[in-house]
Amino acid sequence: MSAQPFRAQDKLALLLALVPYLLDQRRVSVADAAAHFAVTPELIRDAVSLIAVSGVPGETKQYQHGDLFDIDWDAYLERDTIVVTHQVAIDDTPRFSAREAAALIAGLQYLAALPEHDNREAIATLMAKLTRGASAAPSQLAVAETATAGEASAEEIATLRAAISGETQVEFDYLNARGERESRVVDPLLIESIDQDWYLRGWCHLRHAVRTFRLDRISALRGTDRPIATHGDEVAVPSRLFDVSADDLRVQLELPADALPLISDYVTPGARTVRHGDKVRLTIRVTHFHGLKRLVSGLPGLVEVLAPAEARALVAEWAAAGAAQYAADDAGAGA
Amino acid sequence: MVAVSVEERLFSLVLALLASEQGLGKAEILSTVQGYRQRYVLGGDNASLDRQFERDKDDIRELGIPLETIDAPDRPGDSQSARYRIPRALYELPADVTFSAAENALLGLAAAVWRDGSLSEDSRRAITKLRSLGIETDDAVIGYAPRLRVREAAFGPLKLALDRRQRVSFLYLKPGQKKPLLRTVDPHALVVHESRWHLSGFDKRARAPRTFLLSRIVGPVKPLPGETFDAPAAGAAERSLAELQRVWQGNVAVLGIVAGSDAGLRLLKRSGVSPTDSGRYELHFTDLDILADELAGFGPEVLVHAPAELRAAVRSRLLQVSGTHQDGGNA
Repeated sequence: MSAQPFRAQDKLALLLALVPYLLDQRRVSVADAAAHFAVTPELIRDAVSLIAVSGVPGETKQYQHGDLFDIDWDAYLERDTIVVTHQVAIDDTPRFSAREAAALIAGLQYLAALPEHDNREAIATLMAKLTRGASAAPSQLAVAETATAGEASAEEIATLRAAISGETQVEFDYLNARGERESRVVDPLLIESIDQDWYLRGWCHLRHAVRTFRLDRISALRGTDRPIATHGDEVAVPSRLFDVSADDLRVQLELPADALPLISDYVTPGARTVRHGDKVRLTIRVTHFHGLKRLVSGLPGLVEVLAPAEARALVAEWAAAGAAQYAADDAGAGA
Repeated sequence: MVAVSVEERLFSLVLALLASEQGLGKAEILSTVQGYRQRYVLGGDNASLDRQFERDKDDIRELGIPLETIDAPDRPGDSQSARYRIPRALYELPADVTFSAAENALLGLAAAVWRDGSLSEDSRRAITKLRSLGIETDDAVIGYAPRLRVREAAFGPLKLALDRRQRVSFLYLKPGQKKPLLRTVDPHALVVHESRWHLSGFDKRARAPRTFLLSRIVGPVKPLPGETFDAPAAGAAERSLAELQRVWQGNVAVLGIVAGSDAGLRLLKRSGVSPTDSGRYELHFTDLDILADELAGFGPEVLVHAPAELRAAVRSRLLQVSGTHQDGGNA
């Protein structure tokens, strides 16, 4: 269910979509309709109550009884069931707008480029249908096939998807950011790609917590027959990519305000930023400084670590080691 | 008098215009349609109601509903004598556009690629319409969530300008330059190449098509009031991708990569990476400065051999980062 606000235009879209659905279903419970449209029962009731009193001005311009929709009020009020008994003006699904079709087509292009989607023909057919089902030519939006994660992970993705739907555990070796390999047993919950990288989210039996694993750091992945442990409701996959726990390290950063989106994955929602001259300062939490040195070195001239000194030193050391290679290489070439 | 909600007024307007074959005149709409008629003053000043109707028309058209204006033959362009209607054949999804349960599941997945911003909103409305068809969805996609992010603030206003064919201006920091320049552009397409958003459009000053990286647009994107342009020839997005692909193909970096390192894991899975005889790797790229930023992040795990410009760029970035963090901190 979406947490985004539902505006008047969204409500209109729901009304126009709901009418043909109700006519098609003939008789449907509020709960089923809500589940089908993935909205709250309250939104469905609001929509039905409005549909039931709506219609066209009609011959008399007075919205007479026959000019209005009507529903079986007994069924609705007593059994929470919707039955449309009289319809006016609409009976079919509306077309997609140019923007709606474009958003879905670009999404499909991204899917088509994923390693495990070998059915490009089906996707091409679907894109053609969306174009035909739009009320104007879809706007110019496109995703290149090279936008996606490498092809080596196709087999791993298949193994993980099978384990998630079969609710079985997986085992693998994981290369952590410190460069160490550890054997992990994980109850897989979600496999997620973000831009170019794939991530597995799952309950880690080594850490006793939900953890995020980068797929390209996983090796020797094996599915098992063991069912996943039951974790109850406390196991929710966090919407943030990186896990934060109470024992995490705090790091104070300084950067230009418009560079904030570049580090959004690391920023806890609601984190406070403080203006400092023409830049902002904020504190992020990391599990260790090894990921941080890569992050900061990859945003040269933008992000500075202010504290702690240990983190600053690690970043300086990392970048200096990188730069030193060039001096050594130049010297070697000259010799 | 009970106030009529916005959605009731919009819904009633759509119903009235769909039901009328010849269309309705504005006075008729304002005086009879639910939500307007309550506020209509017979023989009085209905200017604010008139403006409301103009905004409502825009909102309805934004949903992809073909609300047409038919000018009176003797008075073209006069909105008071024009008639308005929604032709049923253009409103309804064509009967032969149907979707299987598997296709429906795929479309759900495609919609979920966008998690935030205007693309997510557009996708969500498309899915609402799709659900109208009452298709059951396969559950095969649970626990599987491919997504692409839109992190650049410029995307929203550029997408809007693209949809409305509105000329825009923005400050653009061209890779390799220190000061941003003001660019005036007709936006033709937004494309993702190598996981980055690009705008392709017609640069008014250069009088030529240009491609811009969204992450290098600094400051706000300003629509230029009253300046619109004709739609580019179909296929602008495909042409833009082909051009980016050509640039990508032409740029090759030669890298030394530490075996088994994080850099190795990340870079070697890219498309088009190939090993050389001397144990190095060749990697294609589109933008030298962006690749230099990324390679600097790998510190001692990557050594750039060629081109010389990239080598110098990475080296100076690493020196800058180590210099900035050299002392014990100033916080």
